[in-house]
Amino acid sequence: MSAGLAARPYRAYKVLLVIYAVTFFVALYAPLVTIAVLSFNDSSITGFPFRGFTTRWYASALGNPQLLSAFLNSVLLGIVAAVMATTLALLLAMAFRRDFRMKGAVLNLILAPIVVPGIVGGIILLIFFGYLGMRPSLWSTVLVAHVNWVLPFAFLTLYPRLHGFDSSVEEAAMDLGARRHQVFAYIVFPMIRPAVIATMLFSFSLSFDEFIRTIFVIGFDRTMPIQFWTMIIEELAPELPAMAVMIIVISSVTALIGFALMGKSTRRS
Amino acid sequence: MKRGRLALALLLAPGLLWLMAFVMLPLGFLVVMSFWSSSIFGTVPDFTLSNYRRFFDNPLYTELLLKTLRIGIITTLISAVISYPIAYFISRQSGWRKFALVVLLFLPFWTSYVVRTFVWLPILGRNGAINQALMSIGIIDQPLEWLLYNEGIVYLGLVYVYTLFMTLPIYLSLEKVDPRLIEAAVDLGARPLDIFLRILLPLTWPGILSGGIMVFLLTVSAYVTPQLLGGPSGIMFGNLIAAQYLTGNNWAFGAALSVVLAGVVLLLLLVTGRWVGIQQVFSGGRS
Repeated sequence: MSAGLAARPYRAYKVLLVIYAVTFFVALYAPLVTIAVLSFNDSSITGFPFRGFTTRWYASALGNPQLLSAFLNSVLLGIVAAVMATTLALLLAMAFRRDFRMKGAVLNLILAPIVVPGIVGGIILLIFFGYLGMRPSLWSTVLVAHVNWVLPFAFLTLYPRLHGFDSSVEEAAMDLGARRHQVFAYIVFPMIRPAVIATMLFSFSLSFDEFIRTIFVIGFDRTMPIQFWTMIIEELAPELPAMAVMIIVISSVTALIGFALMGKSTRRS
Repeated sequence: MKRGRLALALLLAPGLLWLMAFVMLPLGFLVVMSFWSSSIFGTVPDFTLSNYRRFFDNPLYTELLLKTLRIGIITTLISAVISYPIAYFISRQSGWRKFALVVLLFLPFWTSYVVRTFVWLPILGRNGAINQALMSIGIIDQPLEWLLYNEGIVYLGLVYVYTLFMTLPIYLSLEKVDPRLIEAAVDLGARPLDIFLRILLPLTWPGILSGGIMVFLLTVSAYVTPQLLGGPSGIMFGNLIAAQYLTGNNWAFGAALSVVLAGVVLLLLLVTGRWVGIQQVFSGGRS
């Protein structure tokens, strides 16, 4: 009886909540959908009205050698940064399975690149390498900036996987005479492989989108977000919506595959 | 035992050396440079407080810092209010529907904030969606110019880009709340407001705090959003710092401003770190 009476206000709340959820998702996606629509607009002014369907902005973005090289730079840099950051993070996460002194301090050090404001994270490398006499470029300063940025996230993704790992399997292998590196190669790594690959994909996505640290140390090279930025600032180029769509698709698809792999590795362990 | 130590050292060494060399050392150098002096001839080693004096003596600079902190606080509050209901809604779903909503929620999280800031230009600009729609139905006959380049739009842009950093930790902390607690409260006649204030809020407070720290941290160091959408009146502290390097050549003053910004963030983490471990902030309150 009392439950029946109480149910009435809750039903109103539930309806309100559903309306809110729909509004929320519409607001979240409407700007992205608008950009996707504009990327096919046959008009050299970025905006409305919609003057007809065309794919020429995609063709002209991909046909522009400067854009293409920025795109390739971002992809290659993302791969290298992801492999380096994931390797460093994996080693650190392995170490974190044991107890050692100053563990808390080491953890704070690992998280430092997220705590430092992004703009400061770029500037410290600009002045540091500047005074070491190193010319800013994609494969020196920018790579360092990206590994710095991605490393803590890679650690935070990998650490829970390794931490929740049942160590009795390893002990059994050691008792049976397996060496440390054999235990890692034949037991630990195969079990965490999906998580390692997922971490690399997340890391790639973070590096591919990185802007604020990169802009201070890029010199004359270009990554996709930097190229995109330059084109907004210099002139509102008609290729921008098409480029935006390509950037969104690449980073979100990589992240989606990462999620799928992560889900798989959770179910296994 | 000794081999175990060696193995541990070998595992820790690469990562720690990297972080010391490329994060801590450059940070230390930033602090040192904030006491140097810059002139048109370059930046030279010195020990002067003039960069800091210049910052604190000029009300334009201190007001900009205060304005940035205000924008940070307001953006954080707006994000919390927007995030809580949607996080709650998703946490009450189940099965494939929940999975789909979670993916939908976090997909934009993985796309560039430069792109997600840029999208407002063709929506709110002269030829933007809003102006064109209003003109085509005849409400206005000239495009509205005030839709862009003001402080209000900076809030919109920041909330749009950073709210998800609030939604994630709130969602994760709501997931941990035992639904039977709420059922029991309902059976005992608690009103929705009571349930929120006396059960949900205390239990999910760590998640709100984690998200709040993250959003505030990101907002006060914003550069892209105010630069693209803010116009002259929407400028924030990050733009002032960037200008010392990208347009001016005042590295020492820029270093002092960077130390001030990093100091504010560090202070916030030290104060709030007493309630939430910082690792919890970044793992979204999972551990």
